[in-house]
Amino acid sequence: MASQDVQLPPNVRLAQGARVTGLSNFKRFLSQQEGALSVGERSVADGVTFAVGAQGRVAIGRDCYLNECILLAEQEIRIGNYVMIGWNTTISDSDFHPLDPAERIKDAIALSPLGDHRARPHVTCRPVVIGDDVYIGPACTILKGITIGARAFVEPGSVVTRDVPDHARVRGNPAVTIKDDE
Amino acid sequence: MTRKLAHDWYDGTVPDHVAFDDTNYIDTSYYFRRFRSSVKDALKLGRGASVYNNTVFDLGRNARVEIGAFAMVNGANVVCDDAIRIGDHTLISWNVVLMDTYRAPRTLIERRAYLEGILRGDAGAIKTRARPVVIGSNVWIGHDCVVLPGVSIGNGSVIGARSVIVESIPDFAVAAGNPARVIRQL
Repeated sequence: MASQDVQLPPNVRLAQGARVTGLSNFKRFLSQQEGALSVGERSVADGVTFAVGAQGRVAIGRDCYLNECILLAEQEIRIGNYVMIGWNTTISDSDFHPLDPAERIKDAIALSPLGDHRARPHVTCRPVVIGDDVYIGPACTILKGITIGARAFVEPGSVVTRDVPDHARVRGNPAVTIKDDE
Repeated sequence: MTRKLAHDWYDGTVPDHVAFDDTNYIDTSYYFRRFRSSVKDALKLGRGASVYNNTVFDLGRNARVEIGAFAMVNGANVVCDDAIRIGDHTLISWNVVLMDTYRAPRTLIERRAYLEGILRGDAGAIKTRARPVVIGSNVWIGHDCVVLPGVSIGNGSVIGARSVIVESIPDFAVAAGNPARVIRQL
């Protein structure tokens, strides 16, 4: 495991034994919130990208292992205890741009070098909640507003567009529940 | 053979258990940051095989990975605790995951014990199940694909981008989708 510790923003709270290591990326960590990122006891975030907006928060429970995944939080991403998340999985609580074409033109202009970022149209965010003992494989996508129930098993490469019940095993794009053969 | 790569941007060396020679190209020793196998020739590169991009060799203690002659691995995450074989002339695109193990025991008690082991820095404390992956010769795997444990892909087959291979694919097939289905024969 790459283990060099990264330079952390001041509003990151690490509990005892928690580690943020590897090529962790805080380039898009813009949150001004107190305790914008909290990492529970013994949890490891190795090479995780934390793209957190000005109002965003990420809370990670204890005894979690996050491995080079990408967390995009404009509002809130809450991760329980004993959660595993694999390589290149993306979790976001926002779609980042409006669905409406006219609004999207305004957004593109506001984002441009000629625009004013404060003039961006409003985009609805909905928190993502991941329960205890959840496994999320590599290369998954978890969309905004999703709740993944405790002990769920998300197969590698899944695109999760609906809530996942407790104990369910899901796979595919869109992810659907499959029989648990183990 | 020197274990230091001449062109390496990362200050590291290629592990002793990697068998390669002057006909191979490995971009950087950073690819081996999760390499823990102590098996002889744990990673074996065939003549003219090459490894690029953001490849990671995440090999457990007893893992063996074999990459065939003239195969090109252009940015794969190779997660192996038992055996992964890649055939000759096979082309693997970026962000592909090849895994012979989920590294996640299915029962709650074992999973928690396993996690606690990893977090202590002792990844081998609890054994997890592994099922070998075999990728044939002359296979072409598109970007962002995932190949799950126990799967084999037949010679000459093509896998479309972003597919997830959940069951074995025959020879000379084109497969795509998540989960992947055979959509035609070549």
